Amino acid sequence: MNAHQATGRVTEDELHAYVDGQLDGNRRLAVERWLAEDPEAARRAEDYRAQGLLLHEMFDAVLREPPSDTVQELSDRLKGRIAFNDNRPAWHARPLVRFAAAVMLVVAGAAGGWMGRGADQQGAAPVAQQRQTLATFAQEATQAHRFYTSDERFQVELGADNQDELNGWLSKRMGRDVFGPDLGRVGYRLIGGRSLPTDLGAGAQYMYANDANKRITLFVGAPQGGNQSNFSFTQNGDVATFYWVEGPLAYALAGRLSKEELLEIAKAVYQDVKAGPPRREPPPEQQPQQQQPQPQQDHPPGVQPISDTQKAKES
Amino acid sequence: MSKFGVDLEVHIASLRRYARALLRNGADAEDLVQEALTRAVARADSFQAGTNLRAWLFTILHNVHVNQVRSKAARPQEVDVADVESKLVSPARQEERVELREMMRAVDELPEEQRKVLLLVALEGLKYDEVADMLGVPIGTVMSRLSRAREAVRAKLANEGGVTLRRVK
Repeated sequence: MNAHQATGRVTEDELHAYVDGQLDGNRRLAVERWLAEDPEAARRAEDYRAQGLLLHEMFDAVLREPPSDTVQELSDRLKGRIAFNDNRPAWHARPLVRFAAAVMLVVAGAAGGWMGRGADQQGAAPVAQQRQTLATFAQEATQAHRFYTSDERFQVELGADNQDELNGWLSKRMGRDVFGPDLGRVGYRLIGGRSLPTDLGAGAQYMYANDANKRITLFVGAPQGGNQSNFSFTQNGDVATFYWVEGPLAYALAGRLSKEELLEIAKAVYQDVKAGPPRREPPPEQQPQQQQPQPQQDHPPGVQPISDTQKAKES
Repeated sequence: MSKFGVDLEVHIASLRRYARALLRNGADAEDLVQEALTRAVARADSFQAGTNLRAWLFTILHNVHVNQVRSKAARPQEVDVADVESKLVSPARQEERVELREMMRAVDELPEEQRKVLLLVALEGLKYDEVADMLGVPIGTVMSRLSRAREAVRAKLANEGGVTLRRVK
């Protein structure tokens, strides 16, 4: 690998290292210059990357299958053996941790993401197209984040002083029940929200801020018949975005944070969204929405990300 | 949940995925992971805090696998392809998953040493030097196996419908 370093020529090994994200910045630029001039090499890089995406499509489903009891028990014991000083209440949120694990292991940065098992029973929408749609959704979320965090004056349409009002209004706009999760335990408070057009119809953007006035946004959209559960991560400049589908809704959490920091918040969002909206007194007009027919309601029960299958055990 | 707890869970999920990709059979894969974790627990004292936990776990899994293969050498390791596919690919989606079936087949046809390197790098995201340490081969060997694996798969997919692969961007 080193022989060519001086001359700037790109080696075969470096092409692989480029695809695998194992090149440092300078050499990456050299490879990119080469790829721009050599279509055959560019095709190879693209094919290698596509192979990786296919591997993820084939095997990422394992991440959502709960391990056998024995494996789980051994994991716990291993943790006990290795982390002596770790006296936090262990494994109290297993499905959540598995969510975190899955998020960390899916292919990062690509438009690909992860098509989980049971992706689409209707078979009508090509998977590639769905994936594209969700990637677009994440992009919109990222752009919306940039845009509405750039100027504090216009950051929200409706403040969070009355959360029921905010949630009710956005639910009405979207034709679905949406709510802004409580992220207080990760240090962020809801400041408000706005309704936005997206590729998937009306979307809702919730904005949160922490004490340092750092802002994150949660973008909610309604994917076409999407009952697949994708966990994907994309980094656009300084904005990191996690996105996934839970039930009838797609979520994209965006912030100028590291992947790890954002993951902590994504976990909180995931947990809250799964638990459902806070039960206050239900607003009277919140009957199941009649205004809009909802063609995509045929989500088979039981298609869930990660897995709650261990819930019984944990109680 | 502590950072360490999450890290460990991430590594174990990664081990399970790798084992499944390598063995293709859910039960065998879980057995392999189980055996590897049993050894890891037994040898936990030899793990040095602050060193690479993921590499340590993968190395143990690799050694267990090598031993298993050795002791099962008399028994054929083949698995029916149709059986595997039905487990891995939801049946309703098969017609649009042609490229997945082709990929599966192409990976199956790789020599095991190449298949391992491809899966460790392209699926599990291990660093080249981690793979070299784990397999006990020089890094150059890792690179040449990786290169041959990728080219073989590429040739295979190009033969059987190169256009479909283009779509997966």
